[in-house]
Amino acid sequence: MERLRLRQQVLLDHLRPVASNFRAADIVTSICSAGDSAAYLRTTDFDDDVVVVAAFRTPICKAKRGGFKDTYPDDLLAPVLKAVIEATGVKPEEIGDIVVGSVLGPGAQRANECRMAAFFAGFPETVPIRTVNRQCSSGLQAIADVVASIKAGYYDIGIGAGLESMSSNPMAWDGSVNPKTQANQRAQDCLLPMGITSENVAERYGVSRKQQDAASVRSHKRAAAATASGKFRDEIVPVQTKLVDPKTGEEKSVIISVDDGIRQGATLADLAKLKPAFRKNGSTTAGNSSQVSDGASAVLLMRRAVALRRGIPVLGVFRSFAAVGVDPAVMGVGPAVAIPKAVKDAGLEISDIDLFEINEAFASQFTYCCKELGLDEEKVNVNGGAIALGHPLGATGARCTATLLHEMKRRGKDSRFGVVSMCIGSGMGAAAVFERGSVVDQLSIARPIKDNNYLSKDAK
Amino acid sequence: MPVFKTAYNGYSVEFSPFVETRLAVATAQNFGIIGNGRQYVLELAPTGIVDVVSFDSADGLYDCTWSEENENLLVSASGDGSLKVWDIALHPAQNPIRSFEEHSHEVNSVDWNLVRKDCFVSGSWDDTIRLWTIDMPRSLRVFAEHSYCVYSTVWNPRHADVFLSASGDCTLRVWDVRDPHASLIIPGHNHEILSCDWNKYDDCIIVSGSVDKSIKVWDVRNPRREITMLQGHTYAVRRVKFSPHRAHLISSCSYDMTVCMWDYMAPEDALLAKYDHHTEFAVGIDMSTLVEGLLASTAWDENVFVWQDGMDPRA
Repeated sequence: MERLRLRQQVLLDHLRPVASNFRAADIVTSICSAGDSAAYLRTTDFDDDVVVVAAFRTPICKAKRGGFKDTYPDDLLAPVLKAVIEATGVKPEEIGDIVVGSVLGPGAQRANECRMAAFFAGFPETVPIRTVNRQCSSGLQAIADVVASIKAGYYDIGIGAGLESMSSNPMAWDGSVNPKTQANQRAQDCLLPMGITSENVAERYGVSRKQQDAASVRSHKRAAAATASGKFRDEIVPVQTKLVDPKTGEEKSVIISVDDGIRQGATLADLAKLKPAFRKNGSTTAGNSSQVSDGASAVLLMRRAVALRRGIPVLGVFRSFAAVGVDPAVMGVGPAVAIPKAVKDAGLEISDIDLFEINEAFASQFTYCCKELGLDEEKVNVNGGAIALGHPLGATGARCTATLLHEMKRRGKDSRFGVVSMCIGSGMGAAAVFERGSVVDQLSIARPIKDNNYLSKDAK
Repeated sequence: MPVFKTAYNGYSVEFSPFVETRLAVATAQNFGIIGNGRQYVLELAPTGIVDVVSFDSADGLYDCTWSEENENLLVSASGDGSLKVWDIALHPAQNPIRSFEEHSHEVNSVDWNLVRKDCFVSGSWDDTIRLWTIDMPRSLRVFAEHSYCVYSTVWNPRHADVFLSASGDCTLRVWDVRDPHASLIIPGHNHEILSCDWNKYDDCIIVSGSVDKSIKVWDVRNPRREITMLQGHTYAVRRVKFSPHRAHLISSCSYDMTVCMWDYMAPEDALLAKYDHHTEFAVGIDMSTLVEGLLASTAWDENVFVWQDGMDPRA
């Protein structure tokens, strides 16, 4: 009889899918160092895809004059780190690593500030953090690094972030320049001020002052429209901080929740009056260059399987990343080289991409890249770019990712693939391809039905 | 295509590796909960499926496997913990020719080695796996690392010493008979794993079927996560098998009474066919190695169906 009961029990257990007692908590899989050498195409959706589940940014404010002029860098980073955690319900201690893109802050000090920011955001001491610097693409590189680590199996959940306080860390060269550079044209070109590289692009590829100013007006108009219609509310985390009156020294507590660099009324006529900022007869002005800004941004990434298990909606899927080198003298052409590579790596064509976030370091290089790639301007920077919003160097990559993914979410099925790209000082370009989350992931937005009595709704 | 009515509830069906028209069916009385068992050997005749010989056993039979070296030998896994070896060339009264009695609980699976062809493994509800040959009275090896019922044990189709097991402890384990410890442990599902199999064309790809209703395909070189998950069954997946003819083809049967065919390389429309000819839990499925596309299934509805993939089994 005992045997009878046992057999019934074993068979009944097969029919009652209650999570087993053998929750395999003490068992871990050994990772084979040979890696995944599977000889088949892996183009569609797998549980090991790395997905973005949350992407936020602070408002972007003018350096030295804007809302964050008196804000510590750590106080910029902490709110976005906190926001990605709170939005998804992931516990801070579950984060495998935080990677922060940061450019101008001094290396060791910035690394320390980031660590402190994590504590301010409520992370326990067990969660590691590091910085990464690939100049203007640092924020995107941080995301790519986290994706790579998740793919490598180092951890399942990570945060890619970006931070820049150009109020506290101006662009400057420390110490003397190696005299050897004089003998090496490329090395010498690395020392060119960014504005000069913009002039070079305009000259070499024939981008007129008028075209540049038009791009600037468009950027401001679109950013103003996006702000007015509340589009940025999805991605902006308001920051509580202080402003110090430069004359009286009086401190005022404020909450900054909008970008302060956008000039709604910018017109071609106004911009045409501005003097060239870098070269006497040049075309690059303060009005058609990106603004010097403060800001931070963060993106929470995890394996799709983890997101599915927790029922966290997938915002986007990270498909590919590419960083390439170009001539330092015309560093702005980076996106024109990086985008085709990243798109090809994702198994796509440029025409498959529905939305672009290309950093507007300068209107000259931005205009050139769009023209070179034959992009429809209705698909590029639809909510404005760095000329209107500002370009907090290290934060830009993650900022663009947040803007792109939230816009793709709003556009729904009309927009499946998106690209984030930027040029990089000293002559590089980086680009990443994202896929809109729920296009391919119906499961993640489905919630389990509770208390199903197997009757139709009408029966209740 | 033909149907055969068994006296007891079907548990397992296996095509003979030697004779293309022959198949073995293990059955158990009263759904395998209490009562006798019967091992059928069936023949596909022009007139339908006929019973060549059948052997009765004192307890229900849960699985069977054909010998790979002698076309007349087959082994059944019994509910009383024994393994019965039958010789269909001998009179039923002279059978079984061997009865290996070491497992302390129900034996749920048995599989004959495909490469070395001289041994077989059995998996039991006593949580152990045992290795046997016909010539030795005792088991050669015991593998006791699972912490709950072992439901499935399958030899690697290329490597003589490697086999895979699936267990109710929610793990898949890869073993080498030269090593008493599992070489690889995959905590594959959050629920009991009832079945597993090796890909016949790529010796690194395995498949598992679980109580969680899903089928997962794994690469043993990167076992941390599955290659793909096939969803479509609405109850526990009882048995999964890779096709001997097509590298990407998987067949499965389930407590939801259906038999499904899958292409795991087409994740968006992986489900190729769903057969709902059974009226009770479908628990046994096999794909013929000698005739491409020939399928056989058995279920608790006491029917054995043999049909060509793509056709209606009842037609």
